[in-house]
Amino acid sequence: MDRESMMRIEHYRRTEAGPLEGTLIDEFVDGEMDRSTFIRRASVLGLSMSLIGAALEAFGQGPLARAATGAVGAVGGRLRVGIGPPPVSSLDPHTYKDTGGLVTGVIAGEFLTRATQGLTLMPELALSWKPNANATVWTFKLRPGVKFQSGQSFGADDVVATYDRLTAADTGSQALSAFKGVLSPGGTKRIDDLTVEFRLDSPTANFPYLTSSTTYQGILLPANYKVGTFEKTPQTTAAFRLVGYTPGVGARYERFPGWWGGTAALDGVDATYYSDDSAIIAALLGGQIDLINQINFVSGRALFNNPNVQIFNARGATHRQVPMRVDLKNPLADFRVRQAIALTLDRPAIVKTLFASYADVGNDSVFAPLYPSTDKSVPQRHKDLAKAKQLMAQAGRARGFKITLTTERVGEIPQLAQIIQRSVKAIGIDMTLKILTGTAYFAGTQDGPPLGWGNTPWLNAPMNITDWGHRAVPNVVLNSAFRSKGIWNAAHYSNKKFDRLVTSFLGAIALKDQRRYEKQLQEILLHDTPVIVPYFYNYLTAGTKRVRGYKADAQGTVYVSRTSLA
Amino acid sequence: MARPCRRRTDIARFLLKRFALALITLVLLSMIVFAAAQLLPGDIGRNVLGPFASPADVTKFNHEHGVDRPVYEQYWTWISHFVRGDLGMSLQYDVSVGGLLGPSLVNSLKLAAVAFVLVVPLSILGGTIAALRRNRVTDRVITITGLSLTSIPEFVTAIVLIVIFGLVLKWLPVSATAPPGSNALTQIKYLLLPSFALVAVLFGYIARIARAGVIEAIDADYTRTAFLKGLSTRRVLFRHVLRNSLLPTIAVVATQTGYLIGGLLVIEKLFNYNGIGQRIYVAATNKDFTLLQSGVLIVGVIYLAATLIADILYSLLNPRIRLGSAE
Repeated sequence: MDRESMMRIEHYRRTEAGPLEGTLIDEFVDGEMDRSTFIRRASVLGLSMSLIGAALEAFGQGPLARAATGAVGAVGGRLRVGIGPPPVSSLDPHTYKDTGGLVTGVIAGEFLTRATQGLTLMPELALSWKPNANATVWTFKLRPGVKFQSGQSFGADDVVATYDRLTAADTGSQALSAFKGVLSPGGTKRIDDLTVEFRLDSPTANFPYLTSSTTYQGILLPANYKVGTFEKTPQTTAAFRLVGYTPGVGARYERFPGWWGGTAALDGVDATYYSDDSAIIAALLGGQIDLINQINFVSGRALFNNPNVQIFNARGATHRQVPMRVDLKNPLADFRVRQAIALTLDRPAIVKTLFASYADVGNDSVFAPLYPSTDKSVPQRHKDLAKAKQLMAQAGRARGFKITLTTERVGEIPQLAQIIQRSVKAIGIDMTLKILTGTAYFAGTQDGPPLGWGNTPWLNAPMNITDWGHRAVPNVVLNSAFRSKGIWNAAHYSNKKFDRLVTSFLGAIALKDQRRYEKQLQEILLHDTPVIVPYFYNYLTAGTKRVRGYKADAQGTVYVSRTSLA
Repeated sequence: MARPCRRRTDIARFLLKRFALALITLVLLSMIVFAAAQLLPGDIGRNVLGPFASPADVTKFNHEHGVDRPVYEQYWTWISHFVRGDLGMSLQYDVSVGGLLGPSLVNSLKLAAVAFVLVVPLSILGGTIAALRRNRVTDRVITITGLSLTSIPEFVTAIVLIVIFGLVLKWLPVSATAPPGSNALTQIKYLLLPSFALVAVLFGYIARIARAGVIEAIDADYTRTAFLKGLSTRRVLFRHVLRNSLLPTIAVVATQTGYLIGGLLVIEKLFNYNGIGQRIYVAATNKDFTLLQSGVLIVGVIYLAATLIADILYSLLNPRIRLGSAE
């Protein structure tokens, strides 16, 4: 035990630490969390890296090593990035909802904090952050001396304007799914030019994640930003300025000499949009691009053993949900039938077929193995046809039934649908697949009559498969997809005890309390099985061997401010 | 023999008739594509604003962009602006439709031009040689090769070409879009692989038509007369045979223009080429009415213009049409 570090920690606890920080340190001392979890949670609570390092040394852990970003290449050169699919609408950050849009914007955008691969939060435009005693007020100190590419200085007013836009009900921002019930318009307050307070609607111990790159709509923009001008005028703070954009074709970025982080190694970035997987892969193999924003194992097999290609891999919580409507007058209304369907799936085989080793097996909840709050003692559901048949018989469905599975043509989802179709045949279910384009799948109204979820297929089909992106914490998905009347509750699931436990989980500060609630939530979901979650897959990208200093991001953003070319 | 002024009148009447027919066709096409666009699934407001926008915001968007008006009103607004050159704004991207379609059309024309320059002489040469070596080995090789290539789907041919010439041999780039600022030769180099794929698709058909035309011309009385007059084989071939045998080939080439300009979606996707085919496809997928309708109509205009030019060429080469007796 390092005495000097111990004294520093004790001094911190007496003078600066609030109840949250104190609880965190206690949990670490008591062995409730491992080193990486401590680092991650400490970063969320705003402990500085030096303090984190002192805590590790004080309690007998190794020193905090500076993360190596990989070999550094030469200064200069332009990185050619292939982005697929292209953005589907304009590039206003608060409207980002598709991969093409967020990747295009985030190359030129920055946030208050940035989430690393290990879900640790690093300072970006905020230097430090601190909660009050019950995590209802978070105070962020901003980085001084930052300039927008337009020449304006960055300050608290810009943060207030950005977050008011994100939380306003009339902008239609998808970020509302994260902020609803957490932060309202007007809840972001300027204290002084470099200090901002977020006054939350409810205690949220993980709030800093919502200010990070995981909320990709949260790119900081000037207070006087005009909607519709993002692609016309460079006006972010990042290392690269967006200087050219042609919808469906590509984007061009130039180095910003006034970047607060110094001089980026690259002269610029040239992004080309691709709508076909084979075309983008051929472009990488043919040497016409240096980096692809996303690949999947099924279509990108040619890359995995190619000696000229490096695979960048980020473990994440991206997953597919297979909701089964619990409120219809059909066999799915019986939880035994839903359990039976779930028991027909050979999850390790599915993971191997669709993702090789690049995914975690799911256990029919949104608590990914990645999350520190996930209780690993909950038994993993496995394929069990005998039990599945028994459940079907108990439910009076021994002879099976017909059902239609509706889904979208995205990534490996069509293959997953076929696997499910084949699997449920073993228990007599005759499943028809209805695979739609993304436009058709998400078309229609999302709320209102007849049942409160409008008429859109993805929220109303008897059974469907929907893609869900990575999130640093499960809060948003729990609230929106599983809670009674959740806006994205495609199974129309309602369980009052479950709802109460979600409230408890979201408000829990100590990790052991989160795990306690989470375990109960998992057990309820395993019993009721409103949704099948077969896997959580890693975010994969690929690049040539020239690319140096690049790391994949589980959210899918492409961060190249520290990237170089050999 | 008709007097010159009567010949000019005949040609003018002929062209006027063709032009009027083309206009009627375009009006019908505009109505059909407009009606078809209304039937596409999805909602443009929801597409643009995303799944989390409130129904009120979606309704407001649709109202602001006029997509909730009666269809006849929407049609009239669109077509009346289109004929004046105002293609409107893309509902999806909120930029001018002309600004999106213009570069895409230019790209498609470039690709079509390179493909034409390769396939037309090659097909005519192949068809002519096959006809001159009728029923011999050379004829069989050319005919069977052409048929085989035509039967292979273009995306299969394209992928084979990409793998062999782009990835294994690395002779040619796998994407068709040259870097900005590239000169003409570089742009042509980038267009070679997709053009080869198109040559493979079209060669068999055009060569067969050319072969049939040459055989018919060779067997004709006027060719026998030319030989009996003592003209050389070369002179007979170029002055009499080819001139007459090319008539059906011109018609076939003209009918392929529409495909080469607006029908190359698969090729454009595989070679990541910003052609008008891709633009139209994305517009249809996202229910971007203004972009979709204008794109299809532009392709229609080009197709009709190509057939009109083919008719003019046909009439120049065929005196019977010039003199009006073939009407």
